[in-house]
Amino acid sequence: MDQAKIKNNEIKFILDIKDYPIEAIYGASYVFLDKAYLFLDNKSSKKIQVSLKGKKKLTKKQLETLKGEFLNELLNYAFRINLTKHNKKIREFIISQALFSAVGEEGTVEEDQLEYQDDPLGIAVPWEEKYKKKLKKTK
Amino acid sequence: MLISFSKKLYKIKAIKLAIKEYQDLANFSLEQKGNYIQVELKNINKDVKQIIKDEFCNYVLFKSKEN
Repeated sequence: MDQAKIKNNEIKFILDIKDYPIEAIYGASYVFLDKAYLFLDNKSSKKIQVSLKGKKKLTKKQLETLKGEFLNELLNYAFRINLTKHNKKIREFIISQALFSAVGEEGTVEEDQLEYQDDPLGIAVPWEEKYKKKLKKTK
Repeated sequence: MLISFSKKLYKIKAIKLAIKEYQDLANFSLEQKGNYIQVELKNINKDVKQIIKDEFCNYVLFKSKEN
């Protein structure tokens, strides 16, 4: 990464797409929309210039801190994207296994075929019917 | 006021959506020149003249992620 340029409450620095994927730059920029004014520009096919401008007047040190926070967020996004890429196969395997086992369960299919009036467990007994018998026995 | 958005980084759909939202604050014109999409702002509302460029750019970025 090149040296940052600070001018007019704004810090500009260049990022290499080799180091940080474009999706990570978008992700970090999105997080910073509330904190600063952002602008992205192509300096070459593989280099992107990021401009961070304070929403209120910031000192040079505060702008440097803002840049540091942005780079941290960028690293966070780059790591997450990398992790997602590496775990893709295992995630697909887990989902396919889950779907396969769900289709294989015959009980679920039978349950779906039941009508609302059906009572396979025998719990739909009217109150009178259930307690009259008991009352007669107690008498 | 002229803003140049890189075609590789900003989607034209996002720029058009942002213009639609900001059209009450200025007159916008859009032109594609090489690798850039140029947006020109004229007759800017004086109350927002200082911040419209930065706010507009942020909004385009927000819309780029959304779409």
